[in-house]
Order: sequence, then C-alpha cells, then structure tokens
Amino acid sequence: MEQVLAYPAKWWYDAVTVWLVVAVVIYVVVAVPGLYFIMKYRFKPGEREVGDHERHGHWGLEALWTIVPTIIVLVLATYSFAVFKKQRTAPPDAMTIKVTGFMWGWQVEYLDDKGNTIKTVVTSFNPTSYDIPEDQKIVVPAGKPVKALLTSLDVIHSFYVKPARITEDMVPGRITHLWFQINKPGEYWVFCREYCGTGHSHMFTKLKVVPPEQFALWLKGETNLAKSEINKEVVR
Amino acid sequence: MREAISVPYLRAGFKEWLFTTDHKKIGLMYLTTSYIFFLVAGLFGLIIRFEQTVPGQQVVPPDFYNYLLTGHGAVLLLWWAIASHIGGFGNFLLPLMIGAKDVAFPRLNALSWWAFFGASVLVLLTLIPGNHIKMMWTGYPPYSASGDAGVTALYVFIIHLIGISSIATAVNFITTYIKMRAPGIHFWNTNMFVHTLIAANVIQLVGVPSLAGAVTMLLLDKYLGTNFYNPAKGGDPLLYQNVFWFYSHPVVYVQILPVFGFFSEIVPTFARRPLFGYKSMIFAVWGITLLSFEVWIHHMFVSGVPDWARVIMSYTTILIAVPTGIKIFNWMGTLHGGAIILRSPMLYALGGIFMFLIGGLTGIPNAMVAIDLGISDSLFIVGHFHYVLGMALTLGLFGAIIYWFPKMTGKMYPEGMGKLSFWLTFIGANLFYFFQMVVGMLGNPRRYPDYPPIPEWVTLHQIQTVGAVILGLGVLVFTIGIIKGLLSGEKAPDNPWQSQSLEWRIPSPAPVDNFGEEHPKVEPDYHPYKYGAPPVF
Repeated sequence: MEQVLAYPAKWWYDAVTVWLVVAVVIYVVVAVPGLYFIMKYRFKPGEREVGDHERHGHWGLEALWTIVPTIIVLVLATYSFAVFKKQRTAPPDAMTIKVTGFMWGWQVEYLDDKGNTIKTVVTSFNPTSYDIPEDQKIVVPAGKPVKALLTSLDVIHSFYVKPARITEDMVPGRITHLWFQINKPGEYWVFCREYCGTGHSHMFTKLKVVPPEQFALWLKGETNLAKSEINKEVVR
Repeated sequence: MREAISVPYLRAGFKEWLFTTDHKKIGLMYLTTSYIFFLVAGLFGLIIRFEQTVPGQQVVPPDFYNYLLTGHGAVLLLWWAIASHIGGFGNFLLPLMIGAKDVAFPRLNALSWWAFFGASVLVLLTLIPGNHIKMMWTGYPPYSASGDAGVTALYVFIIHLIGISSIATAVNFITTYIKMRAPGIHFWNTNMFVHTLIAANVIQLVGVPSLAGAVTMLLLDKYLGTNFYNPAKGGDPLLYQNVFWFYSHPVVYVQILPVFGFFSEIVPTFARRPLFGYKSMIFAVWGITLLSFEVWIHHMFVSGVPDWARVIMSYTTILIAVPTGIKIFNWMGTLHGGAIILRSPMLYALGGIFMFLIGGLTGIPNAMVAIDLGISDSLFIVGHFHYVLGMALTLGLFGAIIYWFPKMTGKMYPEGMGKLSFWLTFIGANLFYFFQMVVGMLGNPRRYPDYPPIPEWVTLHQIQTVGAVILGLGVLVFTIGIIKGLLSGEKAPDNPWQSQSLEWRIPSPAPVDNFGEEHPKVEPDYHPYKYGAPPVF
C-alpha cells in the first residue's frame, strides 16, 4: 500500500477525483450531443430552411434533467459534508500550535502540556526572494497530527498548508483552527492566501517536517536542524 | 413598414444627447461608457498577466499591481458586467420588446445615467497617483480601514453612486414591465431577455442597500472613528463580509442572467425554431433569483464562520446548479431539430454557452465545502469566475452587440471581423483560464504579483500569458469591427435576422418615437420565438 503523504489532503484528493469524474461525464453528456446537433441540423438553402417549429418543449425530458441533476448534486454535497467533518475535526492526540499572522509573516508558538509557550518561531518579511532562513521554518514532527490555532494581529491573513491542502483565515479578534498531518519528512510550502496588502505574495514560509525524535530534540533547543538530511528532499 | 423618422444617433446634436430622456440614447451612452471602461480594465488585466509570466518583479511594483487588480475587478464587475447590459441593453431593449414608448420614468432614468456618470468620473480620479485604491474590489476591513489601502472614501462613494443608479433603474424597469406592456404582451409571451432583466433588477432592489450599508459602515469606521469592524473595540470584521456578500453574491446573477437572456434570444433566431422549454426557462430564472440570496457564505468557507453555516450554504450553493443546468439543457434542446445558421452572433452565443458549461462544472468544487478548503483563494477560483463572469458574459455581450448593432446604429457589423474576433477570443480565453484553474489546483494563491519559482507553475503561467495575448487580439479585432461597422458598415434592413420579436418590427435604427403610437398592434398568438417561415437572407 502506498504511504499517504498528508492528511486531510488524502481525502481532499479523493473528493477532487470524484468531482472530476462527475464533471467530465456531465461535460461529455452535454457537449457531445450539442456539437452533434450543430453539425447535423445545419441550415441548407432549399433543403432545410425551417427548424422543427412544432416542438416547444418536452415535460418528461425537462423533468428528467431537473430531477437527475438534483440527485447528483445532493449526493455530492452530502459526500462533501462527510469529508468536511473529518477535515475540521482534529484527532484527539493532535499536538497544538498557536499561529499568529501579521503584515507580513507569522509567529508560531509551541506549547507544553499545560499550554505554556516553550518555543517560538517568527518569520521575517523578505520582499525579493523566496529563500527562507533555517530558523524561520515551522518545524513539525512527521506522522503526528498538528492542530493550529490561528489569529491575526492586524488585518485578515490566512494559513495555507500546501501539502495538506487546507486553508483557514486568520481573523483579528477571533481564533480559528485547522489541523494537518504530514507523514513524510521534507520541506513544504506555506502561503498566505487572503489578500493583506503590499507584501501579500511574499507572506510565506516553509514547513519543515522531521522525524519525531529530531523534533523532540529541536523543541528542547538541542539542535537547530541545520545539518539535517531532509534538506535534500524535494520541496513540495 | 413605416419610414424612419428619427435623426440617426450619430447625427443628433450634443445638446440633445446631454439632456436626453430617451431610453435608447441613455442605453447607448451606458453601453459606450462601459465598453470604453471594459477596454481600459482589460488593459489592466493584461499588465497583471504580464507581471505573472515569470517569478519576480517584471512590469510593475506590488503596490501598483494591487491597484491594477482592484481597478480590473471593480470596473469589469460594475461597468462591463452590470452597466453594459442592465443600463445599456436593458434601457435600449426593454421598452422595444414590450411595445412601449419609453420607460415608466424617463427623467428618473436620466438621473440613473448621471449618477452612473458621476461614479465613472470618480473611477477616473483613482488613476491619479496618490488616489490609487488597492484594497481589491471586495475591500475587506480591517485592511481597507488601514492607511495602506489607499483612498477608501473614493471606493465608498463610487459604490454609493452606482447604488443610487442601480436602485433607480430597478424601480424604473420593474414598473415599466408591470405597467407599460402593449396589450397582448403578457408573462408567458415576454422575451427571455426581459424576464432575466426583471429578475436581475429584483435582485438589485433587494440587495444594493445591503452593500451600501456595508461600505457606509466602512466609511464611518475609517474616517469618523466608529468601530463596526474593529475587533479591538468590540466590532467584527466578519460583519462586513456577511453584509457585503449578501449583495455581492446575488450580483453575479444580476450579471449573468441577462446574458442568459441574450443566449435565449440569439439561439432560437439562428436555429430557426422556438426556444425549447420556454416555461421551464422562466421557472429556472426565478429559481436562481430566489436561491441567490441563500448562498453567500460560500465566499466565506474558510473565513472562520461556524461549520454548520458552511454546510448549509454548501447545499444551497450546489442546488443552484439545477436551474442553471436546466437552461443549458434547454439550449441544447433548441439546437436539436433546428436549421442552424452559424452567423457571428450565433457563434458568440454558442461559445458563451460552452464557456458557461465549463464554468458551471468547475463551480461545483467551490460549492463542495470539503474541496473548497483546499482551493479557496487560489487561482482556481479566479479561473472559474473568468469562465462564467469573464468569458461566458463577454462572449454573450459581444454576440448581443453584433445582434442588435443594426437596430442601434442602422448599420451591419462586419461579419468577417465578427467571426475572426470570435475564434481569437474563444481560443485565447480557453488557453488562458483553463490553465489558470490548473495552476490554482496546484496551490498557487490568488492576488499574487510574485510567486516562488516552482517549475510547473512557471510553465502554466507562460501558457496563460500566450492565451491572454490571443484573447487581447480578439478583443482588439472586435473593437475595430465596431468602428468599421459604424463608419462604413452595410446599411441594415429592418429585420436582418428575420426575428419574430417586437423590436425588429420598427425601422433600423430604432426611431425616436419607437412604434410611432402608444403601442404596436400585437396579434393574439404573438410569441417572440414563433419561428416557422423560411428566413430571407
């Protein structure tokens, strides 16, 4: 069995596949007959000058293409509801981090069992490049669910964990949340996706996913991970 | 047929245009203004596209990019997507299609136009450096209430003036439809364009006050120190989003419904057969109108609103696919058994329906809240709404311009340029927006002047730029066609498309007094789509 790279991305990819199949089928069902009609029922002088003007509609057909799409979309919405519940409910063993957005960066706080901050990572604004210093990456353990509590200091930002395919806005005065779990060590993109002014497109950082033992060492301050092997992994 | 007694529009004096209350002249002024604004905002769009061709700063710095993006969105939505077919085609066609002399309140109509003109002047003022607005057309606080956002007051007053114009027009059109129909025109033989226009104006009447309220509170917050949206003093930024989207989602139906009306006028005419499922089309229009006010949270699926609200609005949103689907199926039904003539308006209409099909299918993942959590605020949504609002709407409007060009100007639009511009626009747009959706699916956030050098993103952005250039060429050819048609177009017959609809019974261009008397005579079995006789071309 192939290893799952990340949650809730796994379910997201499944949902996208379901939608794509449905969309392509509907597209073919509509566009192919449509194109065929345009080819076949062409105006020809002396031969076909008038369209079929007796038929103004067909209640059976019209009922059919009302009822069938209704059923399809209700099934899709219900399926999406089921996935949504999983996306929004962090597993009980999730580790909690606090992420605060500002113009233009994030402050990430790691908590101990009692909820006290034991380590803080702050990203700085770099308007010209997409390189990021080692100590400004958000480090998380591989294979462990992480719940992020989000808020903002100034304007609305958002927190998009690209490998996990999950976004949530960071709203001043509110605490929002999302959760993710990355199983494969490596470096992954994190972006702000809610427009926040001049530096919006450079409000980014990288998620550094390391084996749990390395994470524990890093959290205690015994390594800065600078020489970690995972640097060589492909950035996703 | 009566002789034309009017002064052709281009020969009417300046004073006549300035003080006119004629619905046709007002319509043409709306249409011309919004077309010019469309070209400018389209140019903004091209600069935005060039900036993203490769990573790093290419053409403009981020702040100017943000201004261009704000202007591109606001002008295309409020001018091109609303004013051109509500103010432009709505004014021109509504009285003609229902057999009336003018709208119910011609002076109020002139007021609508001048309020709109005022808003247009304010938009031009934002071009002055120092007046740039860069808070995006959505203007979310707290950003829009901060000093970084530019001159928020200009944005608010633009919305206020447009709002006054929209409400006055809505009152005017709804009254006109109810009170001024020619004897014999009733609900079940009204043109689809009129049905969609009235539905759109009902949305305007209900929704605009909500938007006006949202931006008024923004104005008070920024300049008078109130705290509606200030969380530090007990306000809530999400209040703005709720009140804003309560109108600004339904407004997409204000924008697209009249375009559905254009498709429904053009397709039967060139398929030479009645519109399939006319009655279910009307039910679909009003179904969309009713549902449109129940879905706004889908713009806020990741904004931090409670999960139950997201789920409920996920269901209501996806249900809108049903009435829009009915419309697409009915157009296909109209093609079946037709005698299809592929003149340029028909090409544009069919192309628009095709774009809307893709736009509709790519709307489903935005409605499925589980997928939206991964694609919200990415370029996927940008590609999606450029399929529906961008291209389905623009192709529909281009088709409508060619289709009613004879009635508006007395000249024919050059057919060759119509066909050429269609294929350029259609191919360019598909190349552009399809790959915009792909790069969005891969995670590229929206409203980014710069992006990390991820190889596949760069390739996809370059394809988009090629598409955008082709699209731009198409629009250029179409615009040259308008000028050529005006200056040296063939003289148009009264009814070049052999349409059955009322507006084609009068001379081209439409005379000042429309039908010459209070109402035209409407036969008891009149129907705008009663195609039976072979056309004479």
